[in-house]
Amino acid sequence: MYLSARRPLPGMPSAESVKGTSGRSRKSPVSGGRRGCPRTPRAAGAQTEPCYLQSASGRDTVAAGRAAQVAAAMAFPHRPDAPELPDFSMLKRLARDQLIYLLEQLPGKKDLFIEADLMSPLDRIANVSILKQHEVDKLYKVENKPALSSSEQLCFLVRPRIRNMRYIANLVNADKVAGRTRKYKVIFSPQKFYACEMVLEEEGIYGDVSCDEWAFSLLPLDVDLLSMELPEFFRDYFLEGDQRWINTVAQALHLLSTLYGPFPNCYGIGRCAKMSYELWRQLEEEEDGETKGRRPEIGHIFLLDRDVDFVTALCSQVVYEGLVDDTFRIKCGSVDFGPEVTSSDKSLKVLLNAEDKVFSEIRNEHFSNVFGFLSQKARNLQAQYDRRRGMDIKQMKNFVSRELKGLKQEHRLLSLHIGACESIMKKKTKQDFQELIKTEHALLEGFNIREGTSYIEEHIDRQVSPIESLRLMCLLSITENAAKQFPVELLFSQQETRERSLLPHGLQELQRAFLGRLLTEGSGLIPKDYRSLKTQYLQSYGPEHLLTFSNLRRAGLLTEQAPGDTLTAVESKVSKLVTDKAAGKITDAFSSLAKRSNFRAISKKLNLIPRVDGEYDLKVPRDMAYVFSGAYVPLSCRIVELVLERRSWQGLDEVVRLLNCSECAFTDMAKEDKASSESLRLILVVFLGGCTFSEISALRFLGREKGYRFIFLTTAVTNSARLMEAMSEVKA
Amino acid sequence: MDCYTANWKPLGDSAFYRKYELYSMDWDLKEELRDCLVAAAPYGGPIALLRNPWRKEKAASLRPVLEIYSASGVPLASLLWKSGPVVSLGWSAEEELLCVQEDGAVLVYGLHGDFRRHFSMGNEVLQNRVLDARIFHTEFGSGVAILTGAHRFTLSANVGDLKLRRMSEVPGLQSAPSCWTTLCQDRVAHILLAVGPDLYLLDHATCSMVTPPGLAPGVSSFLQMAVSFTYRHLALFTDTGYIWMGTASLKEKLCEFNCNIRAPPKQMVWCTRPRSKEKAVVVAWERRLMVVGDAPESIQFVLDEDSYLVPELDGVRIFSRSTHEFLHEVPAASEEIFKIASMAPGALLLEAQKEYEKESQKADEYLREIQELGQLTQAVQQCIEAAGHEHRPDMQKSLLRAASFGKCFLDRFPPDSFVRMCQDLRVLNAVRDYHIGIPLTYSQYKQLTIQVLLDRLVLRRLYPLAIQICEYLRLPEVQGVSRILAHWACYKVQQKDVSDEDVARAINQKLGDTPGVSYSDIAARAYGCGRTELAIKLLEYEPRSGEQVPLLLKMKRSKLALNKAIESGDTDLVFTVLLHLKNELNRGDFFMTLRNQPMALSLYRQFCKHQELETLKDLYNQDDNHQELGSFHIRASYAAEERIEGRVAALQTAADAFYKAKNEFAAKATEDQMRLLRLQRRLEDELGGRFLDLSLHDTVTTLILGGHNKRAEQLARDFRIPDKRLWWLKLTALAELEDWEELEKFSKSKKSPIGYLPFVEICMKQHNKYEAKKYASRVGPEQKVKALLLVGDVAQAADVAIEHRNEAELSLVLSHCTGATDGATADKIQRARAQAQKK
Repeated sequence: MYLSARRPLPGMPSAESVKGTSGRSRKSPVSGGRRGCPRTPRAAGAQTEPCYLQSASGRDTVAAGRAAQVAAAMAFPHRPDAPELPDFSMLKRLARDQLIYLLEQLPGKKDLFIEADLMSPLDRIANVSILKQHEVDKLYKVENKPALSSSEQLCFLVRPRIRNMRYIANLVNADKVAGRTRKYKVIFSPQKFYACEMVLEEEGIYGDVSCDEWAFSLLPLDVDLLSMELPEFFRDYFLEGDQRWINTVAQALHLLSTLYGPFPNCYGIGRCAKMSYELWRQLEEEEDGETKGRRPEIGHIFLLDRDVDFVTALCSQVVYEGLVDDTFRIKCGSVDFGPEVTSSDKSLKVLLNAEDKVFSEIRNEHFSNVFGFLSQKARNLQAQYDRRRGMDIKQMKNFVSRELKGLKQEHRLLSLHIGACESIMKKKTKQDFQELIKTEHALLEGFNIREGTSYIEEHIDRQVSPIESLRLMCLLSITENAAKQFPVELLFSQQETRERSLLPHGLQELQRAFLGRLLTEGSGLIPKDYRSLKTQYLQSYGPEHLLTFSNLRRAGLLTEQAPGDTLTAVESKVSKLVTDKAAGKITDAFSSLAKRSNFRAISKKLNLIPRVDGEYDLKVPRDMAYVFSGAYVPLSCRIVELVLERRSWQGLDEVVRLLNCSECAFTDMAKEDKASSESLRLILVVFLGGCTFSEISALRFLGREKGYRFIFLTTAVTNSARLMEAMSEVKA
Repeated sequence: MDCYTANWKPLGDSAFYRKYELYSMDWDLKEELRDCLVAAAPYGGPIALLRNPWRKEKAASLRPVLEIYSASGVPLASLLWKSGPVVSLGWSAEEELLCVQEDGAVLVYGLHGDFRRHFSMGNEVLQNRVLDARIFHTEFGSGVAILTGAHRFTLSANVGDLKLRRMSEVPGLQSAPSCWTTLCQDRVAHILLAVGPDLYLLDHATCSMVTPPGLAPGVSSFLQMAVSFTYRHLALFTDTGYIWMGTASLKEKLCEFNCNIRAPPKQMVWCTRPRSKEKAVVVAWERRLMVVGDAPESIQFVLDEDSYLVPELDGVRIFSRSTHEFLHEVPAASEEIFKIASMAPGALLLEAQKEYEKESQKADEYLREIQELGQLTQAVQQCIEAAGHEHRPDMQKSLLRAASFGKCFLDRFPPDSFVRMCQDLRVLNAVRDYHIGIPLTYSQYKQLTIQVLLDRLVLRRLYPLAIQICEYLRLPEVQGVSRILAHWACYKVQQKDVSDEDVARAINQKLGDTPGVSYSDIAARAYGCGRTELAIKLLEYEPRSGEQVPLLLKMKRSKLALNKAIESGDTDLVFTVLLHLKNELNRGDFFMTLRNQPMALSLYRQFCKHQELETLKDLYNQDDNHQELGSFHIRASYAAEERIEGRVAALQTAADAFYKAKNEFAAKATEDQMRLLRLQRRLEDELGGRFLDLSLHDTVTTLILGGHNKRAEQLARDFRIPDKRLWWLKLTALAELEDWEELEKFSKSKKSPIGYLPFVEICMKQHNKYEAKKYASRVGPEQKVKALLLVGDVAQAADVAIEHRNEAELSLVLSHCTGATDGATADKIQRARAQAQKK
């Protein structure tokens, strides 16, 4: 696709779009205010049956009078004594300077080919005018069409993917056939992979292009959210077992520690976390001395693999920001609100971050509160407009020059978010969202499995949505193992006393771990359901999904209970292993076992399903469960909470065993001494494989309660749909 | 003190020149220097001699011999010259010896006579032979200029980056120029040559005739020309015995001198100091040496022996068979202090110190005198500076002592200049030692920098001295000690007589974990010497796996490299090895290697998925991974194959694979898909329209929408579509067709397995309230309220809810009560609630 030089890239808020909205508000700011006014929470509720969004018990009605109090509570997104966040804009500057440097390496006019995935992130770093300043003439998107560029110099800004290399190779080879010589430069972001160079070589153009790296791996999406913008990390690592991005993660961590001081305390859980940590340490050691003596700014860092907690990512989100993501898909920190939201014929790109005053106050709120807040806000706004009435000319002049712009801006945002809310309501009520949430909660709590299963079956039969159906199946698979809850501890003591004398120590350890695995095999769907659901699914959505299922199985998202794994079967397996006495065989047996979830036991151990006495008040939440209407505390966040409380994994051995993950913790006393108490309350949480807005909201809540401040670093912001799409095989 | 200035010779009014001995030569030369080709490197560099260069006899004993000596005459190397006749020798800036042969080939030797490489000066030179050649130094490195038999010049400004440049021709040139030299102006090398009375300046494009300004008349030929060390000045010696001195740009004349000797001098070189106003040229004949400058008289020396001049930055070195001397202008500071009857502060301070040592009160007098003039600081500085220019340690000491003495009477004299001078002199004295033989002056040393000096020591394999200097000067390890150790190690691995084991151990013992030492570099050197085993041993010490891998690959230890790469966790590295292995091993071995390395395997699979699908299949095949093989064929069935037969065949293969993998479910599903595909094909043929690639569900729906109910039912039976699905499917399809009659018939065909609420829902979705109401009545009691609400009958819904006495249902109805119309209903519910609570 050719993007003309004048037209802004998609992803850049254009002058027109801004003008359009201001024009709208010019009509009458009051009428806009009024639009929001009558939507008191009660009216909103009455209109659309929102009880599914209110609480687990679903019986709460909103007391309109408390809206003001809530608004006041929301006005403080964090405690006043919470530590200041580091300034991450430096990361942007660094990335921009490096890009400019790279562009200058190819002096003269050039056309820039950008990979679609990189457009939005690039836009956050350097806009068109900056590119123009550095002699970028025209911009093109990398896609499978012949390029029409007539420039003598072509520059490609791409992710290190093989298909991009083919694209470039085709282009260069076409030029060669046409007898044309141009200069080509490929800039890989965030890094170059050998495989790519290899393809260039195979295509015979290695000598014709020059390669460079743009080490841009950290994009600050918000004051507390850094994204690596690598959605493929999830599939590459957790499905394909491809570890190449780990190096990128390690590099990113290294960059952070050079910029913001060393991290005195590190915790991690999961294989990927461990590997990233080790690689990162290696980098630090190689460049030892640079960070020495620096005061740590961030006291703790927490690395978390996505496969430690799939459940949270699979749940429907009900916090505003998450809901907006689920409904409209937030892309690189901004969202495209369609005509149904903007109530005009244009869609509008809106940046969602802390700078949006309206959004920043509602982003972490349960959806049922949002309308209340917005209407309150609308009323306040109206009052501020109304102040004009009694003003004399001088005051009016002041008002117009100082406040009006802010008010108008606020007004514009307010009407947008009200529009978004309406649109969400419409979409969600259509699909009988209440039933869906009820089913989800039942699955999380582990009862009414049968009903859940038939609900999912109906969902599939009606062809509601392939992705949604898949998500529910996975949720069912991971949470369902209530049927066979072994008294794990009991069995262990029996087994151990019996076998201890027989086994050498190392083997004992192995056996222990192995037993843990066997016992967790209870999870997954029972074979009958597994088959019938799959059959239904294939009939509805096409046979190619056979591959999707194979993927899901490999990733441990949708599995089948191994039949006949009763207590005796376990015992016989163990005794066979004992007689074999070959440690190698045990490890073989290990790897043959797919990764299994053990959600029920973990949930019980960590108290993830809060006991509800009466109603769960979503306005003044008690715990992180509020992000799922009080029904479930996100597992990932709970782990972070507990480890931070203990400053180690101590006492969590059982949980770690159930999670089937390796954990690591590392405290550098020397650095800890230098860390101020302020910095020790600043925590970097790294999600490897993506995190959801619900998790972010939950941890922000935790920070508010405990006086922490969390910074999030994720390979990409994700949600259930993105996870499922990553696992899906679709016909090309 | 009087005798100290004995060797000072005045030139004109303002300058003194002195000549002192550096070494008495250690060598034992049999020949005269004039029988040899001689080349000495600047900055106290080594001397190369080629004996018997012109002999052509075959007798081995009379073959030319190339010898290399240090500046003190300590032999460094000696080798029999076996190549072609040599025209000229010269040293490059890196202290490599360049030997220009008659055929234009340039052979490069190391300091120790080790052959490094050779290059040619081009075909033209080869054809016309070399008449004369010069090695010259510019800021870019060392260059070679050649005069060919055709009287053309070819030059390369940098032998490290060989770019041959053929200079333009002098029109009508018939004979060889009487003399010529290279000039370097505006960063470009030029040639200046003299033919008879004319001077020509050549570059690669132009040839221009130039005339030196103010040249005395009557010159019919130039016999010798000399360019200064910095290319700033030029001297011309004419056949009238007249010397013209001026700038190299030939724009300005500095001075002239008539020596009245018409014999052509053997050598003529500049002898100036940087930043000195005095310009002087040293001219050498067989037995006479003359220093001429801007003065009516010249300084004359008699040469006892055949001598050779080496121009230096700040003077001229003169060596002969027996001695090595240095001739230079006396530096300002020394002159001030030592000049007879000098009253300079430095001179007074030196005197004061001497008196002080004699315990004489005169010391106080002198000191007072300086202090009264307020020149003590200056005095100390003078002494320090002068010390630097002294060659003899005792003089250095006495000057430094004076400085130190003077320092005591000064508050806050910054000590670093004194300390640095002491350190520098120690280093200088150490390298000037005749065992080492690098006679650097202080100015040369400063110009050269300590780093280069260290490099030169390393080049001479003087590792211990270099390390001592580093330690003494406290240089950072990375720049200093460890770099030298690394060089040492690289030299060590070349010692073929020591066993691998010992060498590796010795190296590790010395180097340990010294930062900045790259074991892989050393290993690479070892491998370069053909000691692979040693290289592997050394690599074991390398902490960074990333550094080990490339070398291991080069040494064809690919499997070891793969292990190391995997250990490193750097996937890119693994990939490098993988693709290397792929080319190196045969396919079977390659796959076997992969099998033992899961990480590598998954990486390679990823690559194959994009680049080599067939290989992927082979990989699965070899592993007997039937599950993945099945998946592979399924993907092929819709991605690669176009024809229906091909697709079915691919699916068949997939099904077989699934059976082998004991995945009956997948196998069955695949077989179903084959059946479906065939059927869809038939449907397309018979009914037209598009069926291929629809899911089963969609196929049936399409059939119903097309009005082929019979076929649809048949299909549902064949594929055993469950009742529930079929009902949903039919219901949706019929509603979409708005075939309400058929829908009603269908609803009555038997009891609905999905209840009747869906009927209501779907009808409402198609906005047919009338039909919806029909079904609402048939909805079972537990969903009745919902159904009634759906069709919008709030009042009836309220009645049912009240009847059921179900709190949840009541709330639900209540929430649907909107506006005034439902006011009554709402009241009714509230009443019922109240009643229920009472009970």
